[in-house]
Amino acid sequence: MDRNKISKWLKEPDKMSGKYSLWALYFCTGCGIIEVPPVLTSRWDAERFGVIPVATPRQANLFLITGYVSVKTLRAIIRSYEQMPEPKYVVGFGSCPINGGMYWDSYNTIKHLDKYIPVDGWIAGCPPRPEAIFVAVTHLWTLIDKGMAKGYVKYREKYELYRRNQEKVLGTLEWPPLFPIKDDGK
Amino acid sequence: MVIKLIALPLIAFVIGIFFLGLFRKITARIHRRYGPPLTQPVIDIIKLFYQKSVSHGRLFDFGIIVSLAGSLAVILFLPFAGICPLESSGGLLVIAYLLLFAPLGIALSGGEAANPNISIGISRKLILSLGYEVPLILILLAVMTHYKTISIAQIVSMQQKTGWAVFSAPLFLSGISYILILPAMLGVRPFDIASAPQEISSGVKVEYGGKFLALATIEHAFHLFIGISLFVNLFLGGGNVFVFFLKMIFVFIAGVFVHSVFPRFRTEQAVKYLWGWPALIALLGLVLAVTVK
Repeated sequence: MDRNKISKWLKEPDKMSGKYSLWALYFCTGCGIIEVPPVLTSRWDAERFGVIPVATPRQANLFLITGYVSVKTLRAIIRSYEQMPEPKYVVGFGSCPINGGMYWDSYNTIKHLDKYIPVDGWIAGCPPRPEAIFVAVTHLWTLIDKGMAKGYVKYREKYELYRRNQEKVLGTLEWPPLFPIKDDGK
Repeated sequence: MVIKLIALPLIAFVIGIFFLGLFRKITARIHRRYGPPLTQPVIDIIKLFYQKSVSHGRLFDFGIIVSLAGSLAVILFLPFAGICPLESSGGLLVIAYLLLFAPLGIALSGGEAANPNISIGISRKLILSLGYEVPLILILLAVMTHYKTISIAQIVSMQQKTGWAVFSAPLFLSGISYILILPAMLGVRPFDIASAPQEISSGVKVEYGGKFLALATIEHAFHLFIGISLFVNLFLGGGNVFVFFLKMIFVFIAGVFVHSVFPRFRTEQAVKYLWGWPALIALLGLVLAVTVK
């Protein structure tokens, strides 16, 4: 640890500790999850970056969406995302969450994930190599450092918009709104 | 006295957190990985304290504090290299009672959250502590009978005259039994049924996030310290600060080796194991301690 880092630790311990201990939620959506076990285990050891998998959204602060998102999965994704404690970061993994990928004309696949939950970064590829996750993690570090990974703040501020988009796809949502929705008299 | 009262929990905290870091590093090296830095648990705990956390009611907050307080109380009664603020009162009997506080506090806290995984985790945790308490009580009885005292400080000083209890004639069976139940006390791999992430989403910790998880991690660190420190005091003859720490690390690393090699028991397998050979050996040890003078 160099001297520069120590002064950073003293100045903003929240950012530094959030950077070096990203706990990823164990959530498998599509085929991209097949790339994650080698990353977490002996071959590519993500634990040296502080990234470990956790089994419950209450403990996680990194959400990897690995692969295509069907309408049914979207419901689970939104519920998991809302249970995660702030600050939380979402990374779309693979082409499918970005624009539908090879499921671009499917009737029950979500094409643009960032309409429904805020996404802080994308990893392109079909599927991406495990090394791409490390690139994404280090890139997420710089984003956190510069204060640009603010997806969760955006979600709080624009919650009405996100909620409306979610309701458009899923119909009525059976859980109450996470943040109070302003009633504008419509 | 006051300095000791403050210093002992601090020592336990530092050593417990160090053990957590060492735990992850050694496991990683056995898996042929590079592993996280030794300071990783500190980073995790700082992060967890900065996170927003969700509480499920007053008992949810209260239970985790009860469990932490129970662990702290045990630490005050447990000598570390001769440092023991509450040396003259209680001793082994108090520790035998207070050891149950930590799982009970967690159970109290988890009951409020009403998550089915938590109920399974709590029942597993209490069954497991029931499993290892039986041999543990037999071991403590054997030790108390042999040394004719309940004070741990006196037991340690007697061992420094007569040699380590684990190698001396009437108590070696109890020592072996303690070694056999140590993984269950520490909650490491063959016995991590209460916090199994793959089966029951990390069990009792499933609703803990933010501060609560940080407190639970600190409680786990204290728990590691207590289990190992009790063994070093009762059977490995204490020592000065450096020697005591060295003995603790030795016992701990043996536990980590067991953790990295074995898969997980099912609940009934764990109880069957704990009430089998360890309890039998502990009973024989008690008989030996009573008959042989």
